[in-house]
Amino acid sequence: MKKLLIVDDHAVIRQMICLALRDHFELEQFGDADSTYASLATSRPDGIVLDVMLPGSMSGYQLCQRIKSDPALASIHVVLVTARGQVADQEFGRALGADAYFIKPFSPVALVRHLTTALLSPSGAAATGSKESPLP
Amino acid sequence: MNTSNQRPAQTEAEAAWQHCPWGLVAIGRDGKVCRVNPAFEYRTGTAAATVLGMSESDFDALFNSPLPDRRRFGQRRVETGDEALRAIYYFFHAPTDSDHDSQLVHIAERMREPLASIYGFAELLLTQNYDEDTRRDLTGTLMEQVEVISNVINEELDTRNSAIGPHATAPRFGGGGPQ
Repeated sequence: MKKLLIVDDHAVIRQMICLALRDHFELEQFGDADSTYASLATSRPDGIVLDVMLPGSMSGYQLCQRIKSDPALASIHVVLVTARGQVADQEFGRALGADAYFIKPFSPVALVRHLTTALLSPSGAAATGSKESPLP
Repeated sequence: MNTSNQRPAQTEAEAAWQHCPWGLVAIGRDGKVCRVNPAFEYRTGTAAATVLGMSESDFDALFNSPLPDRRRFGQRRVETGDEALRAIYYFFHAPTDSDHDSQLVHIAERMREPLASIYGFAELLLTQNYDEDTRRDLTGTLMEQVEVISNVINEELDTRNSAIGPHATAPRFGGGGPQ
């Protein structure tokens, strides 16, 4: 089973995302970017669902940038999930190399669909780079 | 014991004038600016020497000019009905469009967290088959998150009220009122 890290400082959000994804992926939860980054030294997930505004020395943007600029980590599929919904925020996430950007509130069913397509389907590579839209 | 009786009224009035958070400008009976307080200089960035002795019409024209930096504060004029003073101008903080924009972004970000939980759990309840205990737990979480939103709204309103405070309201003293 492929492994995903769920990174959000709100436990309720982590619970909701884990509930949606638990039948499809092995999941591990983190509440900040620093401990998430430290974990990458010993364990290599297939994807990360990453909040942007996090406590500690590193934001979700900074963790995304570190992952995507490191050749050893760049293949990790990064989905930014954030309350920052302005166009400039999305463009910034895209510039950092995020594979998808979900704006809270978002559809967990759409998140499952995106991640199963990107990581579990044979045509997953085609899904990489897609950008989900906020809810209508 | 009423401590106010222990100090001369003039001293108290002087202290109030010096420490009032509103900018205050007094117009004498001769129609000229006769006094300003420190908050006036701070709020408007205008030195006392610039306006002291200025006629009220010139003063009024100066602070109603359409310069962008004049929009950071509001002002009110109050007739005093006093023998020595014709009027007092009050200058108070008026939030800019930029202030309002950042407040709205901040509120939106705070609201989106519980909204994400509510939408997400509601969608999962609608589309997935969970056992009765799980459904009850998720419904309880939905109710908690509604309470979180309610608290965010209350906190933001409290913060806004305390931040604006008396500056949001035109001061009304004695028989005078905003002109």
